[in-house]
Amino acid sequence: MIASGTELATECLTLRGISKRFPGVRAVDNVSLGFYPGQIHALMGENGAGKSTLMKIITGIYQPDSGEMRFRGKRLAPRSYRESLAMGIDIVHQEIQVVPDASVAENIMLDKLAVVSSGGRVNWRRLYEQASVFMREVGLNLPPSTVVRQLSAAHKQLVQIARALAARATVILLDEPTSSLSLNEADNLFVLLDDLKKRGVTLIYVSHKIEEVYRIADTISVMRDGKLIGTRRSTELERRDLVRMMIGRDLREQRIGPTAVNEGKVVLKVETLTKTRKCRAISFELHEGEILGFYGLVGAGRTEFARVLIGEDQADSGSVYVDGEKAAIHRISDALFRYKIGYVTENRKEEGLFLGESVLTNLTLLVWKKMRHPVTRYISRKNEEDAAGKMVSALSVRTRSLADLAANLSGGNQQKISIGRWLLADCDILIIDEPTVGVDVGAKEQIHQLIWNLACIERKAIILISSEMAEIIRLSSRILLFADQQIIGEVSHLDDKSYTKVRDEIGNLLSAIH
Amino acid sequence: MQKTEVPPRPAETVPEFSKASRQFRGGRALGLLFGTIVLFGAIALVSDTFLKPYTMFIIARQIAFSILIALSQAVCLVVGGMNLSVGAIGSMATVILGLCFQELKLNAWLAVTITLLFGVVSGAINGLIITRLRINSFIVTLSLMFVYMGLRSGISGGSPYTIPEDFGFIGQSAIFGVSWVFVLVCLILLATGYMFSHTIFGRHMLATGGNENAARLCGIATDSVVFRAHVISGFLAALAAILWASMIGSCAPETGDSWLIGSFAVSIIGGTGLNGGVISIAGIFLGGAIFVLINYGLIEIKANPYFANSFLGALILLAIVLDRVREIVGESKRKT
Repeated sequence: MIASGTELATECLTLRGISKRFPGVRAVDNVSLGFYPGQIHALMGENGAGKSTLMKIITGIYQPDSGEMRFRGKRLAPRSYRESLAMGIDIVHQEIQVVPDASVAENIMLDKLAVVSSGGRVNWRRLYEQASVFMREVGLNLPPSTVVRQLSAAHKQLVQIARALAARATVILLDEPTSSLSLNEADNLFVLLDDLKKRGVTLIYVSHKIEEVYRIADTISVMRDGKLIGTRRSTELERRDLVRMMIGRDLREQRIGPTAVNEGKVVLKVETLTKTRKCRAISFELHEGEILGFYGLVGAGRTEFARVLIGEDQADSGSVYVDGEKAAIHRISDALFRYKIGYVTENRKEEGLFLGESVLTNLTLLVWKKMRHPVTRYISRKNEEDAAGKMVSALSVRTRSLADLAANLSGGNQQKISIGRWLLADCDILIIDEPTVGVDVGAKEQIHQLIWNLACIERKAIILISSEMAEIIRLSSRILLFADQQIIGEVSHLDDKSYTKVRDEIGNLLSAIH
Repeated sequence: MQKTEVPPRPAETVPEFSKASRQFRGGRALGLLFGTIVLFGAIALVSDTFLKPYTMFIIARQIAFSILIALSQAVCLVVGGMNLSVGAIGSMATVILGLCFQELKLNAWLAVTITLLFGVVSGAINGLIITRLRINSFIVTLSLMFVYMGLRSGISGGSPYTIPEDFGFIGQSAIFGVSWVFVLVCLILLATGYMFSHTIFGRHMLATGGNENAARLCGIATDSVVFRAHVISGFLAALAAILWASMIGSCAPETGDSWLIGSFAVSIIGGTGLNGGVISIAGIFLGGAIFVLINYGLIEIKANPYFANSFLGALILLAIVLDRVREIVGESKRKT
């Protein structure tokens, strides 16, 4: 089953014929897999492929309907997360789970406070001493008494890993650990994972990001529709084949297509827009049919600029022109209803969707005004259903009905709805912030196609904010590079350049300032 | 480079767009209906006087009051806040109405208008402090609750005001045997239902309560929505006070003292989400009915009235626990 395992020790964790059924779905279908100590084993697949369910089975959050797990030769059947943790299997969740107002040390030793206390009184010195051992192991150079709330996402992630180490975990499952990290921070994490691997820890790594999986994983397993499609050594698996295994069809890793920018028509002109600690003298022009990429690291000021532009934050100085006329944007409704500028947020769960509302409401929210009867003020349910229904099929959103709650959709489908709402609103200028974070490969491709269609067929002007270089090169007509709340460079005429040339230009510009 | 033409993938499951809104809530209303019927039947069996027209008249009027007071609470809950001053605004409104009649000798229309205006203004004060100063609605309305309660005691001295006899028309008479109060409240309830399901303002309220950040990014003036919700709440509380005075034939300053807990009880039993974004009009109606029937039933079985609060508290808890159980069952069913 495993392509090569000759130089390895015996499997420490074995799954045999694991199945888990939910009403209507085989979430995990007869999966057999082996994990080895001292290996990073990546688990890939689209959203809904069954990776998360499988992880939850291993860590006792779910119990399998059939099949058997063995851990170090013994039967493993944890009935809860606590039981699996007690056996040395821990999971670092995608959503960072820490106690924000407690110290780093407390977070690491939370379940072991009894060990460092006597007679119910916590011995803080011993707590800090013991915690700092694990902090050193993960490279956290902070006083152990630091309050976790103040830490960056990356440091919080490290706290979680340190907690796993403190629990003496020999198997650590990581669910999309880099989703909230910058490139640099991710690099540090990879170094740490490599180190853990050398010390014999079994790492199971769930990720959507092909780049990073190739970078750190020894073995890659791909799941699709609950089934295990295959397990390969990462050195023996071509990228193309990996993608094909994941989605069952081909994906081009290059430009999506030429854009048709109307250079003569400037739809948005921004002049030295400035706001303390948000953006510094941002100036650029945006043309009809253009996809303008904003590339930079997390925290470079792209989202902050967008929020000033749409009126969520007020600019200190600078001006904005829409279709050649000076625009006065004081609040979001100005941007949206007067100047037709829409903003698709990067945090679909916190700021994008109404999770407790129906798919219908989530899609039609912005266009109720148009559907309203002038006298009775009745919003026509039929018009709503027509509009939403069209959008659902155009975006191929997988939902049972329009009345389904947004909370029940997968990440990719949620993102489609989050974007679809703004498509219905018929904005002329659309700012799309990190459109494919936490979205599977298939949905990502559909969303890319959608963005491209918007610019090239519907002649909208798009600002695309993304931290993923492949995405920004794939879609943009022109790229602005952001760092420290300002624009530090521009790469233009992407239609005439090859993927690698653009990538190198961006690299040169970025390395010039760092 | 070639244009990449990727045709949109056909939807894998043919979407059948059901007209039914949320099944979860539908199921809840059915459960409440069942509960109401069982209670009604049980009391009818035990009591000889229950099915008499006069008892029905009284019961319907009681239900109407509990619905009206619950609505005053629910409009705030729905936008993600709460209004602890519901009863206190009612008390204060009663005193103002009494002053208008007894001291100022104003005619009924003017007195009612001034009282309603007080409701609107008190709601506006709640709303302004909450939205302008970004203070939690719990603490704002709690403080103002005590402010109003102190004012009404201080101004009235605790004794009731007399009001003109013909002012009792709305509160005491009936149309085809049905209390005017009941008819009026049903109309208000229907209008509220219409507002939440079919008007922009109502749905903006739901959106604001559901996810305020997302609502703001959608161009909804969330502060204004919260403000208006509190204004409506104050208005409804004052209206309830006026109807109450009309019913009992005087302006008793202790009016409203029992409203707060009842407003939460009926809202919660009726399925109004405590975190905002969820309201059910059928739920509030049936919640009001259950609330009144249980109170009536307790009297009918001669339960010690000193224990009434315990029953009430247990009832609220039961409603929340049942909801939570349904949620847990629902979640485990649809996990994928």
